[in-house]
Amino acid sequence: MSLSNVFYNTIFKRNSTFVPAVFAGAFAWSIGFEIAVTKFHDSWNKGKQWKDIRDKYATVEE
Amino acid sequence: MFAAAKNAGALRAASRAMKAGPRTTTARFASSSAGSSSGSFESFLNSRLTLASASLAAVGTVAWYTHLYGTLPFVGEAHASAASDEGMHPIAYPWSHNGVLDTFDHASIRRGYQVYREVCAACHSLNRIAWRNLVGVSHTADEARAMAEEVEYTDGPNDQGEMFERPGKLADYMPPPYPNDEAARAGNGGALPPDLSLIVKARHGASDYIFSLLTGYIDPPAGVEIREGMNYNPFFPGGALSMGRVLFDGLVEYEDGTPATTSQMAKDVTTFLHWASEPEHDERKKYGIKAVIILSTLFCISIYVKRFKWIPIKTRKLVYEPPVNKGH
Amino acid sequence: MATLAAKKAFTIAPTVRTLASGVPHAPALNLAAKPLADGHGHGTSRADKPSAWASSTTLSSAGLVSRTAFTARPTGHFQQRLLSTSAAVKDAPQVPDFSHYRAPNTDKNRTFSYFMVGSLGVLSASMAKSSVSEFLVTMSASADVLALAKVEVELGSIPEGKNVIIKWRGKPVFVRHRTASEIEEANREDWKSLRDPEADSARVKNPEWLVMLGVCTHLGCVPIGEAGDYGGWFCPCHGSHYDISGRIRKGPAPTNLEIPTYDLNEAEGKLVVG
Repeated sequence: MSLSNVFYNTIFKRNSTFVPAVFAGAFAWSIGFEIAVTKFHDSWNKGKQWKDIRDKYATVEE
Repeated sequence: MFAAAKNAGALRAASRAMKAGPRTTTARFASSSAGSSSGSFESFLNSRLTLASASLAAVGTVAWYTHLYGTLPFVGEAHASAASDEGMHPIAYPWSHNGVLDTFDHASIRRGYQVYREVCAACHSLNRIAWRNLVGVSHTADEARAMAEEVEYTDGPNDQGEMFERPGKLADYMPPPYPNDEAARAGNGGALPPDLSLIVKARHGASDYIFSLLTGYIDPPAGVEIREGMNYNPFFPGGALSMGRVLFDGLVEYEDGTPATTSQMAKDVTTFLHWASEPEHDERKKYGIKAVIILSTLFCISIYVKRFKWIPIKTRKLVYEPPVNKGH
Repeated sequence: MATLAAKKAFTIAPTVRTLASGVPHAPALNLAAKPLADGHGHGTSRADKPSAWASSTTLSSAGLVSRTAFTARPTGHFQQRLLSTSAAVKDAPQVPDFSHYRAPNTDKNRTFSYFMVGSLGVLSASMAKSSVSEFLVTMSASADVLALAKVEVELGSIPEGKNVIIKWRGKPVFVRHRTASEIEEANREDWKSLRDPEADSARVKNPEWLVMLGVCTHLGCVPIGEAGDYGGWFCPCHGSHYDISGRIRKGPAPTNLEIPTYDLNEAEGKLVVG
């Protein structure tokens, strides 16, 4: 049985597995996407954002 | 020739029909009163008096409209104006936050706040920015709290019903230099220094205009008369403004050691004012990335799904197999 | 001035013929046909009178208008097509062969199609989720309201045995630095027999500091401190007496004075209400 058949039989074949898989995927994807975009955004704007320069001004005990 | 003959036939037929037609119009009434009343109405419509009053009403309406609104719609107008009335176009500068993905340079915002506090705040208010807005943008919470506490705010009434002074809190807004607009006018020779909270959004050219104005003070060219107390700036619409040049090299001393040249200070304070106008700027651009990625992906997938659904319909092959005649 | 206007509108084809009654004669159409006598027909038409659709006479403000409408049979010039001239269709048009486009492995295609539809669902669901949650965020309090929702008090500025009234969300908040004897008094009371039984330890985070909403639970007046029969607060409006723990002892008020949410930061000597 090929890989595509495994996917089909475990997830897509029954609606009772397909719909939960879609919602679970949406949950995981929104978290992963947020992390990825934030990472890209921070690397694109390296050194410009407040979190990059905060250490210069924050006092030690905080 | 054939067509002409046909037309002649048509005419003959028409005339025959018309002869037949009047048979149905022979109904007549003994009284002619109905006819005469409609006749007087028609004669009223066609009278010179009606014509004259209708013309008068039309001309009067147009005149009244012009009197009320000055111009007529749909009629073009020509204006005479000098280029100096609009001010010079500001120079386009490569701001570090120009790109669609670029955030503000927060170190610049911090320096810009210093310039605002030490230079601009003497005349210009910043009403819509509170101390808490600086937290997490250019200052830590402790720094902002310490700066707020240096300012005395009127609060109250207390138990005795009297107003009292208290040190500022993070929730307080930036203190204005003048208690009200009238005092601001009186202190500046009649010119009101505008509030700077939204100034970048409120001026054509935005950041470029602010920077150009701050660094654009020059001596008036030959032939331009500047009144006493006014200053010449080619970027200002009209050329003459009450605010003089305020930024000079070395005016402030930056805590991070950046040389405080005129253009450096102008750049920093413009970045700060741009942030004040658009505090949501950084977050907005981040949302923009996410929205573009998600929406374009959704668009592509929906095209795929559309094609997927339509392919069986579009590539359908209809085959007709005629019945085989077996009889003969 | 009486005018008799006769308005006639007619469309006449070259071969029209009109009957004496004014009805156009259309050979293929019997206009004078009577309706069926089966009860569904309405009225009958008279052969000696033009039908209403063909002619009418009306009296209007413009005079007497008689209208006669003719509709004649169209007389287009058609040429009969002869069977012998039509070319015989020898062959059906060639239908292209689609078998080339058929996928060799339909299992893979099926999984891929389901995957794409599922991805559409995943993206839509995550977008719908963030739309809804962003919308709900707009319903929460705005930043300037939240900034005012907390009040900080320097505890060091309140000497022992003193009351301080601060304003928090528009309401007075009593802060009392209680003395040792007051704490003892508050704990000594047999609190189970009170109207609103509550132990003093349940009303304070640190027995030295009593923080209460300064609103009488009766009708919302502001009680006066260090007054009343029980050494605590006294409401001047209707005479409710509260003790040194803010519990109702006498008077119309039904419950003890309310305790707001607050944090005591003893290390920095700060009280944060809210």
